[in-house]
Amino acid sequence: MKSPSLRIYAIAYLVFLYAPIILLPLFAFNDSKVVQFPLKGVTLEWFRQMAGDAQLGIAVKNSLIIALSSSILSTTLGIFAARASTRFRFPAKGALMGLIMLPMVLPEIIVAMSLLIVLLAIGVKLSLFTIILGHVLVCTPFATAILTSAFQSLDKSLEEAAYDLGETPLSTFRLIILPLVLPGIISAFLICFTISIDEFIVSNFLGSGEAILSVYIFGQFRFPAKVPSMLALGTILVLISICLLTIAEYFRRRGIAKTGGKDTGGFL
Amino acid sequence: MTFSDDKPTMIEFKDVHKYYGDYHALRGINGTIKAGEFFSLLGPSGCGKTTLLRTIAGFEGISSGAVLIDSKSMEGVPANERPTNMVFQSYAIFPHMSVAENVGFGLRKDPRSKAEKARAVEEALEMVGLKGYGGRAAHALSGGQRQRVALARALILKPKVLLLDEPLSALDKKMREHMQVELIKLQRQVGITFILVTHDQEEALVMSDRIAVMFDGEIAQLADPETLYRRPMSKKVADFIGTMNFVPATVLSEAGGQVEVEAKGLGRVMLDATIQPPIKGESPVVGLRPETLTLLYDDQKATERETEGVVDEVIYFGDMTYYDVYLGGTDVEVRLSMRNVPGRPILDVGSKVRVAWSPSALVLFR
Amino acid sequence: MQNNGLLARIRRSEGASGLAIISPTAFYAILLLAAPLVTVMLFSVLTSENGHIVWDFSLSNYETVFTHPVYRAIMLRSLMVSMLVTLATVLLAYPLAYYISFNVPAHRKSMWLFLVTLPFWTSYIIRVSLWRVILGYNGVIDSALMDLGLVGEPLNILSNGVMSIVITLAHAYAPFAILPIFVSLEKVDRALLEAGQDLGETRLRTFWRVTLPLSMPGVIAAVLIVFIPTVGDYVTPELIGGGKVPMIANMIESQLLKQRDQALGSALSVTVMAIVAVVSIIFLTLNRRFLGGQK
Repeated sequence: MKSPSLRIYAIAYLVFLYAPIILLPLFAFNDSKVVQFPLKGVTLEWFRQMAGDAQLGIAVKNSLIIALSSSILSTTLGIFAARASTRFRFPAKGALMGLIMLPMVLPEIIVAMSLLIVLLAIGVKLSLFTIILGHVLVCTPFATAILTSAFQSLDKSLEEAAYDLGETPLSTFRLIILPLVLPGIISAFLICFTISIDEFIVSNFLGSGEAILSVYIFGQFRFPAKVPSMLALGTILVLISICLLTIAEYFRRRGIAKTGGKDTGGFL
Repeated sequence: MTFSDDKPTMIEFKDVHKYYGDYHALRGINGTIKAGEFFSLLGPSGCGKTTLLRTIAGFEGISSGAVLIDSKSMEGVPANERPTNMVFQSYAIFPHMSVAENVGFGLRKDPRSKAEKARAVEEALEMVGLKGYGGRAAHALSGGQRQRVALARALILKPKVLLLDEPLSALDKKMREHMQVELIKLQRQVGITFILVTHDQEEALVMSDRIAVMFDGEIAQLADPETLYRRPMSKKVADFIGTMNFVPATVLSEAGGQVEVEAKGLGRVMLDATIQPPIKGESPVVGLRPETLTLLYDDQKATERETEGVVDEVIYFGDMTYYDVYLGGTDVEVRLSMRNVPGRPILDVGSKVRVAWSPSALVLFR
Repeated sequence: MQNNGLLARIRRSEGASGLAIISPTAFYAILLLAAPLVTVMLFSVLTSENGHIVWDFSLSNYETVFTHPVYRAIMLRSLMVSMLVTLATVLLAYPLAYYISFNVPAHRKSMWLFLVTLPFWTSYIIRVSLWRVILGYNGVIDSALMDLGLVGEPLNILSNGVMSIVITLAHAYAPFAILPIFVSLEKVDRALLEAGQDLGETRLRTFWRVTLPLSMPGVIAAVLIVFIPTVGDYVTPELIGGGKVPMIANMIESQLLKQRDQALGSALSVTVMAIVAVVSIIFLTLNRRFLGGQK
């Protein structure tokens, strides 16, 4: 069914989808304090301003600490959950997996607030650590979903073959399973990292006022004078996310090719 | 073709039961498999043949009974410590390793030197006809080559028993027939007990010294291929292996090891009662294989018995022609097969024919 | 002896191995998700006094949530905005998903899907903030339109809080709607469509009678996936609505952190969860009906 109107619509939709992202570099290099047309000329001033922002440096460092810790933790937890759910039948499996995946379908404010209430009630001081606790909760379902598909594409008889040839369950895991799901692990890690860097609600409510990248950006956009340097920051962040995502997608596809499976689509 | 009984026992099943929850997958398996035997577990899907194979390998526990390998009980012995190796239906070739790494996988804990192991791998590859393939990536192999790698990988450990789970089902017909012959040769060469799981009766007949036919978690008959084909113990076995005509019959008398039967369209016939299947209380029928019936041409005479009939259907197969024939003015129809030789015309539907048969080929199911 | 054997059997059993392997993740989720959610449910039927919880059971919090005009208004507005967002997102997404599934050649499909999902992985905060700059007074749209001489004075779309929120969220959740619809469209047997046209149906009628009903499971999934997070969205009302159009999430935050009324805040949270649950159940039932009807 060929219809040019549908094609025009699809292109218009993509323009709508990409408009903000295209505007980012446009105004990040624009020599004007206000974000409006017509463009004035090229400048690196906003990148310079951004680089000189000491508070932003702290925010980036904190965010990296949080993102690294929470993506390592959630990927590890995701490996356990994915392995258990793809290879074993056990009591309360549905309920436990449902609980682990719940943050994916629960409004984030609820996850953050309920955790906050408990942390405050038992007197835990808010810090980067409490943010990590929350991020792990939010990221684990994504890691589990990606890893489940990685573990699922693994032929069970590969494990049995290794076992049959004299390996123990542990050495089978190390020699066969781990190398074959490694691409899935890397892509889960990268996705968790991206989610954690971007995460706002948990970072905002479970922190004690330390500068966190997403919270800092949120705050800066209230001041029109700060907007251009935030656009410069945004340009860099978008570039980094695209790189990470491309790497993640590469590893996911390689994983599927390795285990001889068929590609069944992208993330989500 | 019969297998000598003086060989020692390699595997023994003692009243093996297996439950999956409420599902009774194995219902009292008994029997022995001899050392050096090519043994097949044959049956339709879901009959428990793969489950039984996996209880030997140690991938499946049993609910009661015992599995003995080389007179040792396998209770509590995990798969990685059993003297068995397996060729999987999917071959389970490790996709991230080379052919040589796959074949040498089981030698990881072997105390031999690297060079000796490499030589063992090369020998194993040569044995399965893959000499010089060691450096190839495993995922780039064809189906038949994967199969050979899987065989080499299992045989390099010199197991007492090689288990093959439907190893030929993923191959096309030509390749399958080729591999059947190769497997038989290989088994004779290495002398290891082979246990093959298959749902293909032809494959089992061609390859095996003995076959266990399984239905619904039970062994229906355990015998050599010829006995299985000629003297099936039940209608179900007879029907599963090849084609058999069933003719309604009445038992007239039984005395002195002889049983007299009136078969519809064939008339009265005396059968050797000692070789007939045990009585199960079904309404009696006699079974005849199509090739035990022959059409008589012109003035040919039957050596034993003959019956008149009318051709109802002609199915031409090139080298053979199948005829469906109504026997002696009854509504009993049998199928018979005739080799097409020069000078012998293909008959038309409606032709009157004479059918020769032999009482010794009849099997009485009652 | 008996005991020993039993223990060994449990250790060896599949169920025990599975539980052992999932235990770290399950333990984490129970401790940091299930327990807090239960606490919130508990707090919602207790009473707050000066920022502390008192063990005094009452349903007055729920009474307040459902009868107090301010809360009711915000609750209804949240629902309405989420529904508008969901409707807009799914309606806009369907033709695109249809285009990718039916008009894009097979080898280009994954590229289109990648293009559609890519914006989702760029910073949410930055995307939302950008819409503020785009839609604002004398912002990107206003200045561009005035530059082109299409309008005489700034439109200031941002001053229309609800509309701005709908545009922003429809943008943010686009891939969530496109993907499930695309997946269900991909499953539509192309032979059915040819059969429909072969039997004399027009393309439009074939679409109405075959394609659309068959893709309903994807549409329903899209509705759920968009509706659930937007009901609880906090950032957009805060940044785009400028706090003038608060939604439930903003109210929960204000009750819990600013008013320090933990009981009422908990009751609001539980209400949001209940709304999400009810909507999910309704749509999942609808979905089952659709699947059942096809059989």
